[in-house]
Amino acid sequence: MSEFLNLLAAGLTSGAIYGIFGACLAVWFRVCNVLNLAVGDFAMFGAIGSAWLVQTAGLPFVVGIIVVLAGVGLTAWLFDWLVLRTAFDRGAGAHGIVGVFFYTFGLSLVLEGVARAMFGTDVYGAPSIWSGPALHVLDFHVQRAGVLVIGLAIVSGLILWAYLRFTVSGRAASACGESVLGSRIVGIDSAKFRRRIFIMTAVLAALFGIVESPITGYTYMSGPTLSLIGVVAAGFAAFRRPGRAVTAGLVIGVVEAMLGGYVSTSYNDVLLYAILFAIIIFRPEVLGLGPEPA
Amino acid sequence: MTEPAATDRGTIPGPAPAGPDPAADSPAGRAGGPARVHPVRRRDPVPLGAGLLIAVIGCLVLVIMDGSYLGLTVTTGVGYAIVTVGMVLQLGYSRQLAFSQSVFMGVGAYGTGVLETKYNFSSVESLLAVIALSAVAALLVGAVVTRAPGLALALATLILPLFIYQLATFSSWLGSFSGIDGVAPFWTGSDYTATLVQTGIVSVVLLGLAAGIVLRVMRSGIGLQLMAMADDERLGESIGVSLRQRRLEVFVLGSVLAAVGGAVLASVQGIVTPDVLSETSEITLLLMVFVAGRKSVTGVIVGAIVIEYLTTSTSFISTNLGIIEGIALLVILLVEPDGVAGAIDRLLGRRTDRWAASARSWSAARLGTRGHAAGGGNGAGNAA
Repeated sequence: MSEFLNLLAAGLTSGAIYGIFGACLAVWFRVCNVLNLAVGDFAMFGAIGSAWLVQTAGLPFVVGIIVVLAGVGLTAWLFDWLVLRTAFDRGAGAHGIVGVFFYTFGLSLVLEGVARAMFGTDVYGAPSIWSGPALHVLDFHVQRAGVLVIGLAIVSGLILWAYLRFTVSGRAASACGESVLGSRIVGIDSAKFRRRIFIMTAVLAALFGIVESPITGYTYMSGPTLSLIGVVAAGFAAFRRPGRAVTAGLVIGVVEAMLGGYVSTSYNDVLLYAILFAIIIFRPEVLGLGPEPA
Repeated sequence: MTEPAATDRGTIPGPAPAGPDPAADSPAGRAGGPARVHPVRRRDPVPLGAGLLIAVIGCLVLVIMDGSYLGLTVTTGVGYAIVTVGMVLQLGYSRQLAFSQSVFMGVGAYGTGVLETKYNFSSVESLLAVIALSAVAALLVGAVVTRAPGLALALATLILPLFIYQLATFSSWLGSFSGIDGVAPFWTGSDYTATLVQTGIVSVVLLGLAAGIVLRVMRSGIGLQLMAMADDERLGESIGVSLRQRRLEVFVLGSVLAAVGGAVLASVQGIVTPDVLSETSEITLLLMVFVAGRKSVTGVIVGAIVIEYLTTSTSFISTNLGIIEGIALLVILLVEPDGVAGAIDRLLGRRTDRWAASARSWSAARLGTRGHAAGGGNGAGNAA
């Protein structure tokens, strides 16, 4: 029982990481039908930037967090203003499936390059927000940073789900993803929603990077892997349901931990990805994408 | 070699000529459909000529470089170029959203390594075996993944590199993290320089062959079917294109070329590591295709070699390559989605989007024929 509970704790922690990036991807995709492949790089910037500001530049931790989050928000706004506005509001550049993937892919490359130039190739971990020894409840052991990570993922998922489901603003944002033209006809500023939610998810990812980095540590190359994991989690939520993405992420994390604990520590990821692959191919309806309409 | 115009061949209808109309007695003619259909040109010298030109120029360049470090870089770039030529057909031309090229590159590289070091195959034998193996693997994988629609296909093929990479890193049979060392070059010479030049020559011949095959497909009726599918799948289906079959064929051809590229890389470098399977490898391939021009065979060949050179150079550029590539990609997507090759075509007045117009007019002709005549045959397929 002890082993099961500890595997569960580890699985929920890693699952929360998958889930939060999945949620960030899903909520923005729902608004503008574009995948944010730079979401992991925003998290990387949050983690490395705050660690660098505190440990090297000597800023107080809270100030470091504020500066980094402001910087990430500004970067997201600048990208929207320079690139997304040109592409989607002025109709220039590539659209369709290329637009879905490659604008934010370009941003990811730029952020990775800038991080390498600024911070080098070292591993960074931000100071822990809630420091202290691991928490023990009966046989259940979990790191304090892990508790924060799980909590942040669940709270973020719930807030995003409630925002989209119960608020007028959230429904307007969803309408933009359904039809840009239709939403503009009824007076919804789709560009405003795209910009705001892009900035919000970038800041959320950066905050998550700060909270999570004491557990895993970050290098300038950590971003693409996190984004890819987020894409997988978001995929199991039809790329549009942030609450379900968090749930999918948590389930994936727990399955991965159980496979590692009870089947093979070396091949747990291989088995996990094989299972996910099989689900996508043989049960695509689970994703919510389903077969394309005839 | 950027999407050559095809309006003078295939089954695209042209203006009715003066005098007796040979098509008047055809079912379409009797039913009042398009009166004239251009005869199919079965001999198209362009793909063969282009393939030969690539092979000859490549051989000359490698002989001039005479086994220098730059020659090694160019030969490595040729390996990537074979993969990207396949990606032109898959991603650029057919818009098949598959990101499994690094996996098949790994199949080619590891296949060559295993067959040569563990089963004593010669280079030629291992290359032929890798082609057969990757074709079977691609057929099996493709039969499954090409069933998945749009984003599901992208997701499935994004997961593939993740678990194949993990599998390679933990498999002691595949050498774990250190990979497989001691892969023999395609053509061993008297010394290192001769070996490098000779292996490079074999590589560019393979590249010429790959380019010739891809151009042949692109310029055929099947190419037009693929374009119609890429433009609008429902339109393609409505004119009789077998979507599933064409998707599978494109997937298999792209994957086999990726495997051949992997075999070339293994042969040139003499070692295979799991890095060839990683997502970084797929990202590099995507950049080679999208920055250079996703619809241009010439563009991606040059792009692969140039990006490989920039990656391995020790200058300021290689250090800041990520920033440069990212900005270049964004600028290209915004200004010229068809990449550098598209921009050059625009400057030279050869816009690539006339191909889309060709596909649309061909589709319209097919629809018209099907609408007016009983049956309609498979003219595009015949044109191939």
